[in-house]
This record gives sequence, structure tokens and C-alpha cells, in this order.
Amino acid sequence: MFADRLWYWLERGGAVNRPVKFLLSRDDWYHQRGYWVVTTAVRNAGMEVILGGIQTPAEMVRTAVQEDVDIIGYRIMDAAPGVVIPILFAKMRENGIENIPVVVGGIVPDKDEVLIREMGVKEVFQPLTPLSTIVERVQTIALAARANRS
Amino acid sequence: MLREDLLEELKDARERYEAEVRRILTTVPGAREEHVTFSGLVVKPLCTPADTAETDFFRDISFPGEYPYTRGVFPAGYLSRGLHIRQVAGFGTAEETNARWRFLLSQGANALSVVPDDGSGNRADSDDERVRGLVGKGGVALDTLYDYETLFDGIDMVRYPCHLITTSAYALACYLVVAGKRGLSFTGLRGSMSNWMRPEPECLDIMEYCAKNVPLFNAGYLDMRNVREGGCTAVQEIAFGVGLAMSGCDALVEKGLEVDEFLHRITWFVNSGPEFFEEVAKFRALRRIWARVFREQYGARDPRSLTCRMHCQTYAPTLTRQQPFNNLIRSTVYALGAILGGIQSLHVNSFDEALAIPTEFSASLSVRTQQIIDLETGITRVIDPLGGSYYVEWLTNRLEEEAMALIDTIREMGGAFKAWDWMCREIRKASYRTQEEYDTGARLLVGVNTLVDDNDIQTRALEVLREHADFETLHEYSAALAEKQVARLNKVRRERNPERLDGVREELVETMRAGRNMIPGLMEAVKSGLTRGEFANIKAGVYHQPAEGPYVCRPPLVLA
Repeated sequence: MFADRLWYWLERGGAVNRPVKFLLSRDDWYHQRGYWVVTTAVRNAGMEVILGGIQTPAEMVRTAVQEDVDIIGYRIMDAAPGVVIPILFAKMRENGIENIPVVVGGIVPDKDEVLIREMGVKEVFQPLTPLSTIVERVQTIALAARANRS
Repeated sequence: MLREDLLEELKDARERYEAEVRRILTTVPGAREEHVTFSGLVVKPLCTPADTAETDFFRDISFPGEYPYTRGVFPAGYLSRGLHIRQVAGFGTAEETNARWRFLLSQGANALSVVPDDGSGNRADSDDERVRGLVGKGGVALDTLYDYETLFDGIDMVRYPCHLITTSAYALACYLVVAGKRGLSFTGLRGSMSNWMRPEPECLDIMEYCAKNVPLFNAGYLDMRNVREGGCTAVQEIAFGVGLAMSGCDALVEKGLEVDEFLHRITWFVNSGPEFFEEVAKFRALRRIWARVFREQYGARDPRSLTCRMHCQTYAPTLTRQQPFNNLIRSTVYALGAILGGIQSLHVNSFDEALAIPTEFSASLSVRTQQIIDLETGITRVIDPLGGSYYVEWLTNRLEEEAMALIDTIREMGGAFKAWDWMCREIRKASYRTQEEYDTGARLLVGVNTLVDDNDIQTRALEVLREHADFETLHEYSAALAEKQVARLNKVRRERNPERLDGVREELVETMRAGRNMIPGLMEAVKSGLTRGEFANIKAGVYHQPAEGPYVCRPPLVLA
């Protein structure tokens, strides 16, 4: 147990400069343009993208734990944001990773955007958000959360 | 072809003219820089007969309805066969979508299209915890034959050709069973489905079964519209689609079919976007390439095989949340490009599609857009009205050259089925380039990177409408509809005969394992109450492709 904690501490504290690790998953299989464009932009900015592909919230959490990511990105287009976000947060709490920030992109109606921000989603990127904005927000939110955890 | 002396004269005149234009552009402040299309073609501000000097009228353009069909697939264009007004519908349960269909028909739509909440049929059933929040959201929930019966309730399946937006053999089986129960002959059944060409047994089984049993049903599909939504260029839209058709042909010929048995049942789903003339030229170039490739390289002889028929849906990535009513104007211009390009069937996007599923209000405006173009403007009374324009003919030639070069590249890679991943990467590169163009302002989008309005009157107007209208102005997800769907599914599960189902299910598995056509067995199975999730389970078992996410079995291969 102690060794685990030490390792955790060393890894977090000893690698302040390691690139942000960004899990990007999507709710369904079709219309992946934003998914790939964001992947490319985030990679070009020097961050590491874990391609979650099409995942349920439970699968996203499993990958997030395995890969020890700094931030989770969820492309929501077909799903109802007000339904899937609470499921995601519940699964994150069950697995003790509720302190990893979540950002969302896709087709999110205004009402849903307000709702999921209240639930704790850190950022909602609407269609045609400039890539530089997405990159900057992902980096900032991830590093702030990493600093809080260490 | 132009006479030599005229060409010489043109060359001199052209040089004088271009010098004058250069002088104007260098001296006038604020003159516009050169414009590059999505496909990377530099727009020529003016064309003359010299730009189409190599074009031979009979060889390259000809008459509508005549090889190489550049000017259209029907001799009389829209005069004999009017535009199919076909708006996509699909949300909630089959009841809600059936009601939307009836509404669209009441507005004057004359063809139908349905989008299921799972275009692959490979997803888990609606009561599975993996699909929570997805049921009836991005499309209509269709779990069982009962849902398809409700969907088509009161709809004349012969009068209104229906398109199923799915690659799923399950959906086809249900569609055919519904028609069969009504006593309709399969030989008279028109309609189509999004069974895009891909190296999967399900795709080829659908093609083979329909070629032999449902001869007027367009069973093969080139869904390049959605690949275009994924960010490919107009040239890639043509080339990758033709490449996929070639690979599909190879596979079906290997299965023992003749090209002319099935080629005329492969239709196109195309896009029409902001780059107006490139789109018009694209439709014209595509028809010519299709005819030439399949006559010269595949020996197709049936004129129906050589005519490339297209359903078009206007481009959506440029629809904006900002100043939402601008989308009405955008989609109207895109629709005009499609109609001037001679497509057969059209969906015009609704202005609220960047916000949610269209409402009756916005969908009716999409229908009216097409009717206004068709009935009020005289545009559809002229066949290929832009044919003969120096610019459009030049651009048609350029797109053909570029697309043919790409088709050759794909062939050298062993065909589109083998070049699949390469095509995916090329599309991603193109979509990234486009996004960069919007981000840097190299390509303009009103309300997003130019003419931004922080106090947007249109958004305020929509809010006022939402508060005061006595009709729905923006679609909202309904958890109640998802519950209703689960109840519908449970009803089928309760009422079916488990022993009978087990019997037909085993037979179906045997057929699929043996590599025989799955459609007849599947039709028996859906009659016995097999659900889409159960069929997906069978596929996962037979083809060993279990999937993650909401999927039981891997969704079909997709380019973008």
C-alpha cells in the first residue's frame, strides 16, 4: 500500500513536465469529423491523445483508469447529454477518479449545456470552436487539475 | 473542338484582357485575392472558349439521357421526372416518426427517408444499459418488426419510395416483411437503403438478394455525402465513391453475378455545399466518370447501369448556431447547386440542425425551399442550364481529371477496399485543413469568423418564438419516449413464441456460418420476433466481431 502511494506521488510529482494525457471518446460511430480534427489539433500541440473510440461511460472510465489520463473528452452527438453525463460522473466516483476533469464537444443544446456545466463538466465546445481555443482550454484545465491532485 | 485560327485570335485577346485585369487588381485597393475551392482548385475568374477547346460535344457532353450522361440521366430532366422531395425523419419511437412522415407528405414531400437511432442495426436493444440516453435520440428506435409495422402504418409503400438510412440487413428484412404482409409484390417495390459498398458479408448478401428478388430496390449505396460531412473534398467524394463501387463490383462478380445484374441498383448519396460551381461541376463530372469507368473498364452495357442517379443532402458542417436563420439561406443556395447539377432527389437541411433534430416548423421550411425553387423560378424547366458555360465545362473537366488521377491511385493500391485506411487518413487530413482555413479566416463563415454579432437578433428572435409559439420550435430529447420504446420491445418479447424463435434462429446461424445468403432466414426470424440486438449477437458469434460501446457487434466499416 505504501509503495503504491510512493509510486503515485513520485510519478505525479516527479514528472511535472510530462505531456497532458487526453482521453477522447465518442457516444456513437457516425460523424467523426470533430473527433479527428480535435485529436489532430491536440496532438499537434504536444499533448498525448488516447483514442477511446465509441465507448459507453463505463468503458471510458475503465480506459481513463488504465491510462491514467489527465482529462477526459467526450464527443456527444447522438446521446442525450443530460442522461449520459450523470452516468459518467457516477462511474467516475465509483472508481475514485472524480477529480479528473471532463470536457464535452459535439451537438449540445443550450439548455443541456447549462445543465451539464452545473453537473461539473468543465467546458463545452460547440461546433466550429477554433482549434486554438480547444487546445488552450484542454491544456489549462488538465494542468490545473493535475496540480490539484499532486 | 475549336478552329485553330479562332484559338490563335482568342489567345491574343485573352492576353490583352488578362493584362488589363492584372492592372486593375494591382491598382484598386481591397481587390480580392485568388480563391481556392475545397478541392484545392484555383478558381479562374473568367473562362473563354480556349479553356474548353479540347472538349468534344458528342464525346464529352452530349445530350441529357445519352452517354456519357454529363447533362443528366433522363432525356427530359425534371420535365418528365420531377424532383423527389425527400426529407430525413427519425426520432422517438416509430409512432412519432410515422407522424412526422405524414406531416412531411401533407406539406408536399413525395418520397420518404428514415434514420434509425442506430444506422447499423448492430446496437444493443433499447432496454440495454449501454444505450441509455441514445434511444430514439439521433434517430427513431427500431428494435423489432412491430416497430417497422408502426413506422409504415398508413403509408403507401409503392407510391412513396422509402429510403432506409441503414446498412442493416435487419432493417431490410423488416421492410420486406411489412411489404409482404400487405400482399405487395417484391418485383414492384421501389425504395433504397444506405447499404454502402464495403467488404462485409452483410453488404454483399443484401446486394445479391435484391438483385435476384427485389429488382427495383436500390440495394447498393455510395454514401459519399456523409464522407463529405466528415471533411473530404469534392474530388475525393467522386473518386472514393467510384473506387468503392469498383471494389463492390469486383466482389459481386466474384460471387457469380453479372455487372448489369446489379450495377443499376447502386445509387449515390451526394453532398452539395458552399462552393457553388464546384458542386455543379462535381455532379456533372461524376455522371461522366461513372458512365466511362463502368462501360470501358467493367463492360457494363445496360444504359441503366451507366446512369449515375443521386440523392443529395445539403452540406451541414457550415450550419451555425450563431445567427441560426442564416442557415435557411445557406441551405437554399446549396440546394440550388444540387438542382442545377441535376440530382434526382433532395433533402434540404433545416435551419436548426446545428442545434437539434428539426421540428415540424423547420422541416416544413425545408420542403418549401425545394417547392419554391421547383415551382416559382423556372429553374427546373431547363435541362442542365449551366452546360455550355465555359467556366462550368472547364471545371467539370478539371474535376474529372483530378478524380480520375485519384481513382488510378486507389487502383494501384489494390482497390478501395484495400485502400480503406489510406482513404480515412486522406479525409482526416482534408478536414483538418478545412478547419484551419476557418480558424485563420482564409475561408469565411458568416457569424463565425466574419460578421460576428454579439447581440445576435436572430438568436433573440428564436428565443421569443420558443416562448410564445404554440408549436415546437426546438426539439428536445424525451426520456418518456425511451421508456415507451422499452415497453414496445417488452410487448414483442412477451408475445413471441420462444420455441419457434429458437428454431428459426438456429437455422439462420447455420445459413450464415455456411456463407449462404442471410436475408431469407432473417425474414423468417424477424417474423418470429427476433430483435435487432439479438441479430447483432448472432452476427458477433458468426463473424467474431464483438464490439464495445453501445454495440453488440462491430458497426459497419465507415470512411468518416
